[in-house]
Amino acid sequence: MNVEGEYIFNGPQQAVYEMFNDPTALATAVPGMQKMVQVDETHYEGAIFLRIGPISAAFEGVLSLTDVNPPESCTLNIEGKGKAGFAKGVGRVKFTDIGNNQTKLNYSGEVNIGGTLASVGQRMIDSVAKSMIKSGCEKLQKTLEERCQQK
Amino acid sequence: MAQLIKIKVTVNDTVYEREVEPRLLLSDFIRHELGLFGTHVGCEHGMCGACTILFDGEPVRSCLIFAVQANGHEIKTVESLGTPEHLHPLQEAFNEKHGLQCGFCTPGILMTVVPFLEENPHPSEDEIREAIDGNICRCTGYEKIIESVQAASEKMSSGK
Amino acid sequence: MTGKYFGQPVLRLEDKHLLTGRAKFCDDIVIPGMLHAAFLRSDYAHAIIKNIDVTEARKHPGVVAVYTAEDMGDYWKLGPLQVPPPFAIKGAQFNARTLPPIAKGKVRFSGEPIAVVIAESRYIAEDACEDIIFDAEPLPAVIDLEKAWEDTSVLVHDDLPSNMAALVKQESGDYEAAKKQADVVVSHRYVADHVAGAAMENRGFVVNWDERTQEMTVWAGTQAPLPLRSAIAGRMGLVENQVRVITPYIGGGFGPKVMTSQADDVLLPWISMKLNRPIKWIEDRRENFLATTSERDQVHHCEMALKNDGTILGFKDIFYHNTGAYDPYGMTVPLNTQTHTVSNYRVPNFYTEIRMVFTNEMVVTPVRGAGRSEGVFVMERMMDLAARELKMDPVEIRLKNLLKKEEFPLNTGVIGQDFVVGVLDSGDYKNNLEKCIQMIDYEKFRNEIQPKARKEGKHLGIGVVTFTEGTAVGPYEGARVTVGNNGKVSVATGYSTQGQGHFTVFAQIVAEQLNVKVEDVRVITGDTGHFHWGAGTFASRGATIAGSAINSAAVLVREKIFATAAKLLDVPEDQVELCEGSVCVKGHPEKSVSLGDLAGKANPMRGAVEADVKPGLEATAYYAPPHGATGSGACAMIVDVDPETCKVNIERFVLVHDCGTVINPLLLEGQIQGGVSMGIGNAFYEKMVYDENGQLMTASFMDYLMPQATDMPKRMEIGHNVHPSPLNTLGLKGVGEAGALPPPPAFCQAVEDALYEYDLDLTESNLNPSLLYKFKNEATKR
Repeated sequence: MNVEGEYIFNGPQQAVYEMFNDPTALATAVPGMQKMVQVDETHYEGAIFLRIGPISAAFEGVLSLTDVNPPESCTLNIEGKGKAGFAKGVGRVKFTDIGNNQTKLNYSGEVNIGGTLASVGQRMIDSVAKSMIKSGCEKLQKTLEERCQQK
Repeated sequence: MAQLIKIKVTVNDTVYEREVEPRLLLSDFIRHELGLFGTHVGCEHGMCGACTILFDGEPVRSCLIFAVQANGHEIKTVESLGTPEHLHPLQEAFNEKHGLQCGFCTPGILMTVVPFLEENPHPSEDEIREAIDGNICRCTGYEKIIESVQAASEKMSSGK
Repeated sequence: MTGKYFGQPVLRLEDKHLLTGRAKFCDDIVIPGMLHAAFLRSDYAHAIIKNIDVTEARKHPGVVAVYTAEDMGDYWKLGPLQVPPPFAIKGAQFNARTLPPIAKGKVRFSGEPIAVVIAESRYIAEDACEDIIFDAEPLPAVIDLEKAWEDTSVLVHDDLPSNMAALVKQESGDYEAAKKQADVVVSHRYVADHVAGAAMENRGFVVNWDERTQEMTVWAGTQAPLPLRSAIAGRMGLVENQVRVITPYIGGGFGPKVMTSQADDVLLPWISMKLNRPIKWIEDRRENFLATTSERDQVHHCEMALKNDGTILGFKDIFYHNTGAYDPYGMTVPLNTQTHTVSNYRVPNFYTEIRMVFTNEMVVTPVRGAGRSEGVFVMERMMDLAARELKMDPVEIRLKNLLKKEEFPLNTGVIGQDFVVGVLDSGDYKNNLEKCIQMIDYEKFRNEIQPKARKEGKHLGIGVVTFTEGTAVGPYEGARVTVGNNGKVSVATGYSTQGQGHFTVFAQIVAEQLNVKVEDVRVITGDTGHFHWGAGTFASRGATIAGSAINSAAVLVREKIFATAAKLLDVPEDQVELCEGSVCVKGHPEKSVSLGDLAGKANPMRGAVEADVKPGLEATAYYAPPHGATGSGACAMIVDVDPETCKVNIERFVLVHDCGTVINPLLLEGQIQGGVSMGIGNAFYEKMVYDENGQLMTASFMDYLMPQATDMPKRMEIGHNVHPSPLNTLGLKGVGEAGALPPPPAFCQAVEDALYEYDLDLTESNLNPSLLYKFKNEATKR
């Protein structure tokens, strides 16, 4: 399954980029995320509870950052596993300063799923992924606003 | 062991009191706790209709309900219709019109049709088709099921 | 041929128990002390197993045992080759890779079992499956059939040089020479997609090893009780009479239940003996989709050479057949395809080649229509392609090429699933088609209805196809008929039943021969304790093969009745006759003896019995055909297509069929209608979809669309032709799979005809609105 799209953040490119590299910010933004711990500079371990159609299950996984090119782009790699199957994804995120103190996020990625998740949940996974990304970005926007105010 | 919950359910006019796990499906309760094996389980996700029973008179899928939710309610299963010696007119019609082959989906279809014919004693063919649309049958191609329901409606309305 | 019972629309004897919920199915069996099994299945389609940690699962309260391949020791063996390759075909290559009872080292399809948990309840067993930690290293999955065949492909079985499971070439005449003589040559690629058997009752297995009697009883929803009995006995080191397999009522078979080496078949008897406890396993729907077998899934590259007048000179078909991760059922399915491409039209020169490939998908074995469906689809589509190229009417080109009844028996030159060269025994294929177009009013539709509809902006189209159905193959079936002391008759056969109505049709055969009431004949099918010879339920062979054996046994019993009664009544044998339930002297109805009393006399408890006399009014007989009997038919449908949404309504549906002598016209209609619904399901609703990683995306009834009541045509108009088969006394041919064969090609032809503004070329047997929409958008507007 391929996911791609864009989102415009009201904030400077550097701040947006930093936020995307901050596990606490990400952990609060992703719906259902229960923990996110940094293991080393580029690896995080996390646990998430997902509801996809008839499936609701916990997944544990590793998030790693590669191709880090601050403040313009990075690649997020996710590998998760749980009782309802597994997921493996690669997402390239790109941040572009579009003026007016706005930053455009472009994301494109590929997700492979297996197990019950694939055989029962795949019909819904597309829309679930989209809505998770959307609500995640909205939460990140709020975090971003708070951070910019604090500065 | 999970906590057990006491329930009281009336099934085919008999009151049963049992202690069950909260997650026990009503279909499993009816089959394996009460030994009423006429209710069949074909998919366990509410799509095939084989496990259809009457819940306070309404046809529902017993695989989508927990036994604890049936506490205080009244249930009817296929065993509440006729016996092999004295078939219900609906069952007679299914025999006469060859409305079943393997017979696995049949109890669910009968329990869907019983309240349907009560509400609509003289249904058109299209109405019957709609009424049984949620019950999957792999054997018959449905045509003879529809003929059976038509025949049953005639039998039942003429009081035979 | 009709009699008092035979040929009559006798109501089914089995219905009363089924209708009242009293019939006993596999999951209704309860044995004191019974444990429950659940399988942990692989999420990966292709992976190397690194570790299976069952420590936590074993500690789970209520769990009695957990087994993986490692725990099985020497008992872990690759399963048997249930159907061997056809040694009669010269040069046929076959690589046997049979099912492991449970994965060891590597998993080869998503859903393959990797561990089994035995617990006090199914709920607990499933919970404990979740405690198992399965660590595996995923490998790329082999999914695309044509790519899988290439040398560069990833291998499903590392010890083989390629993914080739089989390579079979069969030919007759000289296709290449015929091609040179041809006025036109058409060629095309077709896909017959993957579908499920999807019986409403999933598989089930209950086993009880009794240590004290040293006997094992198995209740299984199987189509092959005797092969299963022998397989279990062999694996367990038991002699056959220590294992009894009983088929309770079965909620539909449709093919996949013929397997005898699935994980439950192999593991549960062993575990029951190990634990000395009864064990039950009931498959759930997702497991059924993932791991019970399924079928179709072929890619064909066809070529047809013709004269300008539409006469076929030759046909060539190279096709890829997906056998899944293993091939325990040999080449039955693709051989059926080979047989059915060249069976109803005169094809003087042909070349057909099977390329059977291993993939990382579930195992492929027959599903109702088995292989024939694909063969009929590609041949009928090629006829349409040729008709289009030659600007001929689709009916005209078919009438021109159909075999004539005078040509039968006709040797097809193709060795089929029964390993003998196919012989078309009888029928009138042209008349099937003529009757069919008459029933659907083809001329009127073409000349009046369709032009008028087009003027009104409606998109009505018609499709007309023909087919044959190879049925009733060997090796044999048998039966024993016994008259009881109460005058009622019992019949036992090794054949098993899944809803076809065998309890009734077999009773009709016996009732006719013995002149007893149908309801006085009690039939037992598929209980190895009652009859222990037989092959199983497949290839539409029950009524013909088991039915013929039952008829022969009944005839022998009748002879014995006459001999015994004549002696008792002291008249010559030709002076006695059967009155209902008794034997009387012709012209003297008062001089009679009831069948019950006669049965007692035939089994004297004291006194001298002649040396060669067998006790009782009983006989056993077998029937083995020299080759299969071929049913035939034609099918037409009129569809109404909405070009915007690509929704298709089947406005009329006609099917003309010839299955020889009819035992019960009511049940025959039921068989055809059921087959048709599966055919329509295949044509426009059902499809199993694997993604590129080998994940089955359609493992529930939410995604795998079963045809529902509102998807069916309002009326299936069925016409009958009766050309009795010369192969058996009763003139029977099979019919179980017939209805499933013609709908996909008829549907394609009709939809193409309806969307006449487009140069539509439907090359897939399993359409749906969105796929049709895609085809429509890719087509050029005329």
